Amino acid sequence: MNTFSGAIPQGLAALRGNLLVGLTLAVVTLPQAIAFSTTLAGLPPHFGIYAAIWGVLFTALLNPSRVFSGGPNTTMSAAVGITLLPVAPQFGSDYIGYALTLILLAGLVQMLFVLVRPLGRMLDLINEPIVNGLICGIGVFLIFKSLTSFGGLPINTQVEWPLWIAWQSFLAVLEIGNLYAIQIGMITLVTSLAVRQVARLRNWAILVGVAAGTAYSEYLSATVGLQNTLIEQIANLSYVGFVLPSMPLFSQEAMADIIAILPGAVTLALLGLFQTVAAMRRMNRKMGSFTDSRRGIFADAVSNCVLPFLSSLPTCASFNRMWLIHSLGGNGRLASAASAVILLVLVLFLAQWIAIIPMPAMAAVIMLLGANMINWEDIKPHFKDRRESIVFLASFLSVLFLDLFGAVIVGSVLAIAYSKWEQAHPNISLSGNQLKIRGNLYYGSLPMIEAMYHRAIAREGSVVIDFSECFYIDREGIRWLKAAKEAQQAALTDRRRLDDRREVERRAASDGKRRTGRRRDKPDRRQRSEF
Amino acid sequence: MGVLSARFLRFALLVCTLGGLYFLAVQKHEDRDRMRLSAVELTPTCKAKLDAYGLSAGSTYRSPYLVRVSGMAPVMEGYSEEDVRAIQRGCNIIDDLQGFMAQGGNAERWNAQRFVRGSHTTCTHCHQDAGDKQDAEGNRLKGSNNLGASWVMADMYDRFTGLILSHELRQMQCYINSSNGFKPNISDDLLRDVTAYSRFIAAALDLKIGNRYPEQGMDEIPAAATGRRGDDYVRGAFIYRERCASCHGPQGFGLVADGRVVYPAVAGRNSFSLDSRMNFAAVNTIMPGFICRNMPPGAEGSLDGQQCRDIAYFLSTLPRPAGDLQGPLAAVWQQLMMIVMPPLTAYADSLQRGDLSRAPH
Repeated sequence: MNTFSGAIPQGLAALRGNLLVGLTLAVVTLPQAIAFSTTLAGLPPHFGIYAAIWGVLFTALLNPSRVFSGGPNTTMSAAVGITLLPVAPQFGSDYIGYALTLILLAGLVQMLFVLVRPLGRMLDLINEPIVNGLICGIGVFLIFKSLTSFGGLPINTQVEWPLWIAWQSFLAVLEIGNLYAIQIGMITLVTSLAVRQVARLRNWAILVGVAAGTAYSEYLSATVGLQNTLIEQIANLSYVGFVLPSMPLFSQEAMADIIAILPGAVTLALLGLFQTVAAMRRMNRKMGSFTDSRRGIFADAVSNCVLPFLSSLPTCASFNRMWLIHSLGGNGRLASAASAVILLVLVLFLAQWIAIIPMPAMAAVIMLLGANMINWEDIKPHFKDRRESIVFLASFLSVLFLDLFGAVIVGSVLAIAYSKWEQAHPNISLSGNQLKIRGNLYYGSLPMIEAMYHRAIAREGSVVIDFSECFYIDREGIRWLKAAKEAQQAALTDRRRLDDRREVERRAASDGKRRTGRRRDKPDRRQRSEF
Repeated sequence: MGVLSARFLRFALLVCTLGGLYFLAVQKHEDRDRMRLSAVELTPTCKAKLDAYGLSAGSTYRSPYLVRVSGMAPVMEGYSEEDVRAIQRGCNIIDDLQGFMAQGGNAERWNAQRFVRGSHTTCTHCHQDAGDKQDAEGNRLKGSNNLGASWVMADMYDRFTGLILSHELRQMQCYINSSNGFKPNISDDLLRDVTAYSRFIAAALDLKIGNRYPEQGMDEIPAAATGRRGDDYVRGAFIYRERCASCHGPQGFGLVADGRVVYPAVAGRNSFSLDSRMNFAAVNTIMPGFICRNMPPGAEGSLDGQQCRDIAYFLSTLPRPAGDLQGPLAAVWQQLMMIVMPPLTAYADSLQRGDLSRAPH
């Protein structure tokens, strides 16, 4: 596929439409990007803005999907903050260096997923309950995590059990929180929630909320004075617009810490890839089209390898923004690229206005985004199946009870266990001495089949094994079948073979071609699919 | 229409919840302000200590300690009513973290206990005598973890992590490790009050910022300072039984009488966590130093370095709660050990005693 196809719109009207979608996207992304870098990642605000400019631009150019939109991401930003908190004090120069190293390492890990095909295939094993569980867990986690900034309290500098810290933070906000900060946060929250009720303004809700919070904060500053309200503002954006080149930290002294953050880098990479693959899968399904998720992985990997040198947060695909582009009727690639350019212009001219946004308003934004991540409509289907609900709950709870790395590991193990469990439990039925196997006959399912087989032998003395409906038999399965046959207690039937032969012969007759030379010891996939 | 009203109801519910939470916060803030304005009821130790230091509100302050020791004292800026209450609250927290001695709903320690987990450990167990241990002549004692001396060393590099540690951050570590609890927010009044108290002690003792005083920490006892016989569990257990068990109990569970901790636990659920700076396995020189300087009370200095190391080594093998940073597996294992080990060791002890009693004398 031509990578740049789809970037050229049909006609001027489409161009204008996409520019408008780009403007919407830019304005919607701006407060989120700042909130991600300041409240979640513990980095200066320009990191988020650069991710929303350069990250969006790179991913738009690298991914051919018509709806794809990458950019700064809530979960990944939180993962940066969580990984680095024990390593260096936030906002310091060392912290920034470590953050860039972390992002670069994550990009390199993602590149590994592009280069080593089987690794990339592993991501296909991650099923929806796991991704939804992770996303919901992180949503809850984000709401709790933003509590301290919401109450204008300093952020705790060590990470322990997140739920307990959340409870402590809640009590601390109640008892010693800065009341002015709480008021600003509340106004932002309530305004956003109110605006969201109007369908037409839904996408602008966060922006309006932040504007209301900022206006109230300015009112407070004017009446009470900033020195009395003690409200932290974003401030210092004057230089944004020019790229601040940056270098990841790879010095000899930092090596111990870099090794310590390696699991964090793997987590970051996997979280990004999970989300990209899940978002692309979901968009494919909603739109009835197909774009290979490997394209998304490639876009993520390349942009995350380049972005650390441009002082930017890591990026991955965002389902919400993709859905927004789709619902506004935009062409993903052009709208994303347009949003990046428009954002650059906005930031160049509005830096002074952005600088006065108060931090509690940013925390309120994070709370809203966290709440958005818990979508009951997406979760509900998982509770209709017991196995899916267990997988979902395990994945959800692991975020809240373990750290993110633990959650990702639990998610991956669950995914593999889930797929193996599916295969390992073939549908076996025993009627009389007829043992009928449907599903896979392989090392994982053999113990179950053998148990049934021996039960039949004990009861009936002999058994007929019918494996006509096995789709796959591995070497161990073949060895077992052979041993069963040699023991002379079992007869094997494969009715398919006869059917196959008839069908093939019928076709051969109609084609006028002879296919009788084909070996049929191993069933052929293509033939099977035709039955 | 039904959908619209349902949505409106949901929105109204959300706004009401937020409003309710805001008013709850306002209430809590007012409660706290009231508590901070009300008079503090001091514990006996704190009352004696603060009276001896002549703490009272006024425009100037002159330390009676310095007058007594040197015959003269610099005139310092005084304390406001609010400062005095903060210092008093700080002393109460150090002397009685658990609030055992508090009366009237322990209002002045309005949130200290929330951060302490099932523990009988109080600050004063390590920071001896409410953080300012002195002998009969009023000389400050070495290795008693004097809070004033540690305040003047605040904002120094932490030798374990290499980070600059403020006094508040150090206190947060105490909550996590030494009292096996949870970390308060760094801007919590609790930490500010203890800082105020530590700072007052530093002023009363005329300690100078940045100076290192011998009573600040513990003088460590490395293996090189002993007869190099190696630390021994059996020897440690023997000395512990002889010298320590009468107070701390044969299993190290401490002694609690009438709801008050008479002797703190050195093992079991109520003890400090494995993450503590006193984690003997990691820092096996600090605990021996503490034992030699401060134990047993009244007969300090009666144990030699090797004996202290042996006791510390024995104590390090007793089950204690795992710290949060050690992860859930370690926590579960330690909890299990705390259930399994005490009866086992008690049984082994009884067997041994039985054997000894049967042995010919």
